[in-house]
Amino acid sequence: MRDHEVLVTDVLVIGAGLAGERAAIEAALAGLNVTILSLVPPRRSHSSAAQGGMQASLGNTAMGKGDSPDIHFVDTVKGSDWGCDQDVARLFVETAPVAVREMAHWGVPWTRVTLEKRVYDGKVIEEDPAKVGLIAARNFGGTAKWRTCYTADGTGHTLLYTMDSVVLKLGVTVHDRVEAIRLIHDGEQCFGAVVRCLRTGALRAYVARTTVIASGGYGRLYGASTNAVINEGSGMALALDTGVVPLGNMEAVQFHPTGIVPSWILITEGARGDGGYLLDKNLHRFMPDYEPVKKELASRDVVSRRIMQHIRAGYGVDSPYGPHVWLDIRHLGERHIRTNLREIAAICQNFNGIDPVHDLIPVRPTQHYSMGGVRTNIHGQAYGMYNLFALGEAACWDLHGFNRLGGNSLAETVVAGKIVGAAIARQTKETSPDVRWPLVYEHLAEESARIERLRARAVRPGGENVYALRHEMEQILSENVGIFRTEGPLVEACDKLRELHRRAQDIRLRGEGRGADPELGAALRLPGMIRLALCIAKGALERKESRGSHYREDYPKRDDVNWLKRTLAYWPAGADEPELRYEPVKITELPPGDRGYGESSSFAATAGRQDAGANPS
Amino acid sequence: MVYLQKALARNPRVDFLVELVQMVSGLLLVVFLWTHMLFVAAIWLGVGAFNALAHFMDQYRLLPATVVFLVLVFCAHIGAVIRRVPRQWQEQKIVWRHAKLIRHADTWSWLFQAVTGAAILALAIVHMAVVSYAGINAGLSSMRVHDGFLAFYAALLLLSEYHASVGLYRVFVKWGWVRRSSLKRVLGAISVLTVAIGAITLGIFYSLGAQA
Amino acid sequence: MARELTFRIFRFNPDQPDVKPRLQDYRLTEEPGMTLFVVLNKLREEQDPSLRFDFVCRAAICGSCGMLVNGRPTLACKTLTKDLPAVTTLMPLPVFKLLGDLSVDTGVWFREMSLRTEAWIHTDQVFDPNAEEERMDNAVALQIYEAERCIECGCCIGGCATANIKPEFIGAAGVNRVARFMLDPRDKRSDAEYFEVVGTEEGVFGCVGLMACDDNCPVGIPLRDQLAYVRRKMAAAGWKLRRRAPAARA
Ligand SMILES: Cc1cc2nc3c(=O)[nH]c(=O)nc-3n(C[C@H](O)[C@H](O)[C@H](O)COP(=O)(O)OP(=O)(O)OC[C@H]3O[C@@H](n4cnc5c(N)ncnc54)[C@H](O)[C@@H]3O)c2cc1C
Ligand code: HEM
Ligand code: HEM
Ligand code: SF4
Ligand code: F3S
Ligand code: FES
Repeated sequence: MRDHEVLVTDVLVIGAGLAGERAAIEAALAGLNVTILSLVPPRRSHSSAAQGGMQASLGNTAMGKGDSPDIHFVDTVKGSDWGCDQDVARLFVETAPVAVREMAHWGVPWTRVTLEKRVYDGKVIEEDPAKVGLIAARNFGGTAKWRTCYTADGTGHTLLYTMDSVVLKLGVTVHDRVEAIRLIHDGEQCFGAVVRCLRTGALRAYVARTTVIASGGYGRLYGASTNAVINEGSGMALALDTGVVPLGNMEAVQFHPTGIVPSWILITEGARGDGGYLLDKNLHRFMPDYEPVKKELASRDVVSRRIMQHIRAGYGVDSPYGPHVWLDIRHLGERHIRTNLREIAAICQNFNGIDPVHDLIPVRPTQHYSMGGVRTNIHGQAYGMYNLFALGEAACWDLHGFNRLGGNSLAETVVAGKIVGAAIARQTKETSPDVRWPLVYEHLAEESARIERLRARAVRPGGENVYALRHEMEQILSENVGIFRTEGPLVEACDKLRELHRRAQDIRLRGEGRGADPELGAALRLPGMIRLALCIAKGALERKESRGSHYREDYPKRDDVNWLKRTLAYWPAGADEPELRYEPVKITELPPGDRGYGESSSFAATAGRQDAGANPS
Repeated sequence: MVYLQKALARNPRVDFLVELVQMVSGLLLVVFLWTHMLFVAAIWLGVGAFNALAHFMDQYRLLPATVVFLVLVFCAHIGAVIRRVPRQWQEQKIVWRHAKLIRHADTWSWLFQAVTGAAILALAIVHMAVVSYAGINAGLSSMRVHDGFLAFYAALLLLSEYHASVGLYRVFVKWGWVRRSSLKRVLGAISVLTVAIGAITLGIFYSLGAQA
Repeated sequence: MARELTFRIFRFNPDQPDVKPRLQDYRLTEEPGMTLFVVLNKLREEQDPSLRFDFVCRAAICGSCGMLVNGRPTLACKTLTKDLPAVTTLMPLPVFKLLGDLSVDTGVWFREMSLRTEAWIHTDQVFDPNAEEERMDNAVALQIYEAERCIECGCCIGGCATANIKPEFIGAAGVNRVARFMLDPRDKRSDAEYFEVVGTEEGVFGCVGLMACDDNCPVGIPLRDQLAYVRRKMAAAGWKLRRRAPAARA
C-alpha cells in the first residue's frame, strides 16, 4: 500500500466549478494551503455552460427600479414553494449584490446599462441616464423585477474564467483530471479523500484538515439532461457512502422548459426573458392561456408542466424524438439575436441546422438542475460529519427548496463560496493537522481492492455490462420519476432500481480495465449513481404532496400541514436502499402562501386533477 | 521559462526589431522588384529606349549602387527570415507533415514562400553576377534571353512574383490593415499583371535575340 | 438511406509505449442528427471500451473536444456526420501532450500560458463591498467579452505550424488572452509591461501570419484582428521603449 502517493493539504476542495473555486479563494486569502481537485481542467467545469445570468438586486435597470434584497427574498421563497431555509435565503439575498460587484472588480465584463432604446413586450423601455455604465440586468422567470445580471450570452463562462484567473493569481494548487472516489473518514470526522488519477489510473490519497464537496449536480442520472456529461453526482455519492451524511430533498429535480430537441442542449431562459414566445403545433402562443400574468416567465416548474400539459392535450408538434413545442424568438430581431443571444443562434445552427432569426426552435422540458444534495447547515457544514463541507449544486444548503429560480444558482455558487469559504477557513484553523495513517491506508487499500476485483473479473464470462445498466437507470428515472409523478410508476421505479443496484455488484468489464481506462471509471461510479437514483425515486414516492418541481398527480396539492419538511436520505452501511428521515423547514419571515404566478396551491389542485383526468398515464 | 542567463542577455526589443527588419527589407525588395520590372520593360518602347536607360544607369554609377543596396537588403532580409525557417530535419518533417495533415492554404503558401525564397537567392546571385559583369544593353540582354537564359528568367520571374505577392499578403494580414479575402483578390490580380508584363518583356527580348 | 460510415481513429496508449501509434478503423450506421459525440460514445459502448476521448458539455461551450477531423482542427461535439464523407479520419490535436487516443492535455497547456501571460486583472485597487460598482461603457464590456469568449479548445494552437515547432509560442489563444486584458480598463498594466510579456518571439512577434487559427477557431473569435491589434500596440510600445532598462517593472 505504501506505494500510493499521499498528499497533505490544509483544505481539500473537490470540484473546480464556481462554488469550489470561490470557496478555495476565500480559504487561500485566509492564508491556508488549499488544493482543488477536478475531473476536468477547471474552466471546463459545467459552471461555464450557464448562459443566462446571476441574480442580485442591484436595481440599475429601469425594469428593476426599486429592487431590493427584500423583494429578492420573497421571489426566492415563493420560487422554492416555501421549501427553502429562510435564514439561508435572507443571508443569500443580502450578499448577492456584493458578490456581483466583487466579480466585477475581479474582471467579469458584465453587460452594462446603455441608453439604447429597447422595446419589450410592446413597451418601450427608457433607461435612467444616471445609471448608464452600471451593471445591467435582464428578465428571468419567477422574479418581480429585472434582476439577472449577465454578460451577453456567456455569464457562467466569464464568471468561471474570472474566478479561475483569481485562483491562478493566488497560486492555489489545482489538480485536474482526477476523480475523488471515496472520503477518508472514521464515521465522525473527515480526513480527505481517495482519488483516482484519470491520466494514469493511479490511486492517491489527499489528506486534509477540512474537505469540501463542490462537485456540481447529478443531471446525467437522467439520460436526457441539459447537464455536462461529467455531472454524475459523484460528490453526492461520496457523502452518501459515508453512511452518516444525509442528502437533502433529492426528489426535488428541476426540469428546464426549453431543452432543444433532440440533443437536449439548453436554450437559455434568456430567450424567453428577452421576450421569446412558446407556440404549439398551430403556432398559437399558449402560455398566456394558462398564466395570464407571467406568461412564458412563470417559474420553471410551472412552465415545464404547462408545456407537458399542453402536449398531453394534443397540441404538441410530432417528431421522431417525441412531441415538442416551438420557441419563437424571430420577432426579437436579427441584431438582438446575433449579439445578446448569439450562443443560442450558434446552438441552433450547429446542432439542428436552423437559424432562429428565421426559424422556430423545437423545445421540450428537460432535466436541468438538482435542488437536492449534501445537506449542510447555514455555514456549509455537512450534517453528520465533522470537517466536511459542501456547497454549490452538490449541496442542499437549502436556498432553493423545491424549485430554483433561474439565475439563483450561479449567484448561490459565488455567494456560498464567500460565506462557506470563510467558515471553512475558520474551521480549518481550529482543527489541528492530524494524519491518521492507518485510516488513510485502509481506505486506499479498499479502493484498490475494488479496482482489482473489477479487473480480475474482466476475463470471466457472464456478468453485467456497465453501459447497459446505466441506460436502464436513465430510462427508469426519465420515465417514472419525471415531471408528472404517480404512486404506481414510482413504486415500480424503486423496485427496478433496487434490482439494478444488486446487479451492479456483478459488473464485468469487456475491456482490460488497465490504467486510466474509461470503462473502469464508469464501473467504479455506477453503483453510487444508482444509489442516488434510488434516493430520488424513494423520496418522490414518499412525498405525498406537490411542491415546486415535485408534482404528484395523485396528490396535486401542496400540503403544508404534513409536508412542510425536508427529506433526509441516509444510506446506512450495507443497506440496499436509503433510509428516509425528515426535518422541519425553517420559516422565519414569510409564512407559506400563494406563489402568485399561476398554480397557486388551491388552483393547482383543480388544474392538476383536470389534466390528470383528461390524460391518465 | 525564464532563465537567468537569458534574462540578463536579452534586450527585450530584439524580437520586435528583427521583425521590423524582416518587414522593411521585404517591402524594399518588393519595391525594387517592381521598379526593376518597369525598367526592363523599357524594351517595349524599343531598343533605343532600353539602351538609353541602361546608359543612364551606367553614367550615374547606378548599377554598383543598386548591387550594394541589394546585397545589404538581401542580407538583412535573409538574416531576419532565417529564424523562421525550420532548420532541423525534425522540424522540417513536422512542418511538412503538418501542412499535409491540416490542408490549409495559407500554411502551404508559407512553406512555398520559404522554398521560393531560397531558390530566388540562388538564381538572383547568378543573375546579378551575369548582368553586372557582362553588362547591360538590348543586344546582350536579348542574346542572353534567346540563348539559354529564357527558362532561367521565366523561373526567376514566377518565383519572385509569387514570393513577393505572398510576402505582401503576410505583411498586410499580420498588421491587419485590410480584409483577408479582398487582400487575396487584389494581390492575385497584381501578380497576374506583373507576371504578364514580365512575360511580354521576355517575349520581346526573345524575338529580338532570334532576329539577331 | 442510412449510410455506413467508417471512422479511422488514431490509437495510442502511453501506458503501452511499445505499441506503435496506429490508425484503427471502426464502422457504424449513420443516424439522423448524429454528431461525433454520439459516434464516439457509441463506439466506446458497443465496440471498443478502451477508446479514449474527452467530452464535457457536448454543446460546443467547454472546449474539451478539439481534435483533427479529416485534418481540420475543430470541436468534435458540434461536428454533424451529415457533413462528413463516408470515411473520416480522427486524430488528436498536435502540440498538446498526448494522454491516449484522441485525448490531449489542453488544460495544462492553457494554465501554463495563463501563468506566463499573467492572465488576471492587475490592479492596486482594493474591493470596497459597500461601494457602487465602477462604471464601464457597455461597448468596452462587449469588446472584452469578444476576446473572453475563447473556450481554450486549442484548435488555433494545434492548427498553427509555428506552434508545432516552437513549444514556447503562446499562439493565437495566448495573444487573444492578452488582448482581453489590454482592452480592460480595470487592468492597470502599462503597454511597456505588456511588451515584456508578448512583445517577443514567443509572443505576438512569433506569429508568421499563417491564419490557420483565424480559419479554424470554432467560436469564431476574430483572431486575425486580435493578433493585429496586439501587434500594432506592441510595435508602438516597442518603438517608444527605446533604451529603457529591461527589468524596470512593478
Ligand atoms: C446548461 C445550463 C445552464 C445554466 N444556466 C444557468 C444560469 O443562467 N443561471 C444560473 O444561475 N444557473 C444556471 N445553471 C446552473 C448552474 O450553472 C450550476 O448550478 C452551477 O454552475 C453549479 O456550479 P458548481 O460549482 O456547484 O458545480 P460545477 O460547475 O458543475 O463544478 C463541478 C466541479 O466538480 C468537479 N467534480 C465533480 N465530481 C468530482 C469528483 N468525483 N472528483 C473530483 N472533482 C469532481 C468537476 O470537475 C467540476 O470542476 C445552468 C446549468 C446548466 C446545466
Ligand atoms: C525578390 C526578392 C525578395 C522579395 C521581394 C521578398 C519579399 C518578402 C516579403 C515582403 C516578405 C514578408 C515579410 C514579413 O512577413 O514581414 C518576405 C518574407 C520572407 N522571405 Fe522574402 N523576399 C525576397 C527574397 C527572399 C529570399 C532570397 C529569401 C530566402 C532566403 C526569402 C525568404 C523569405 C521568407 C522565409 C519569408 C517568410 C518570413 C516570415 O513569414 O516570417 N526572401 N519576403
Ligand atoms: C543589380 C541588380 C539587377 C540588375 C542590374 C538587373 C538587370 C536586369 C536586366 C538587364 C534584365 C534583362 C535580361 C538580361 O539582361 O539578362 C533583367 C531581367 C530580370 N531580372 Fe534582373 N536585375 C537585377 C536584379 C534582379 C533581382 C534581385 C531579381 C529578382 C529577385 C531580378 C529578376 C529579374 C527577372 C525575373 C528578369 C526577367 C525579366 C522580366 O521577366 O521582366 N533581377 N534584370
Ligand atoms: S482562440 Fe478559438 S481556437 Fe483558439 S483556443 Fe480559443 S476558442 Fe479555441
Ligand atoms: S496560425 Fe499561427 S502563425 Fe500566427 S496567424 Fe495564427 S498564430
Ligand atoms: S464537449 Fe464541450 S466543446 Fe465539445
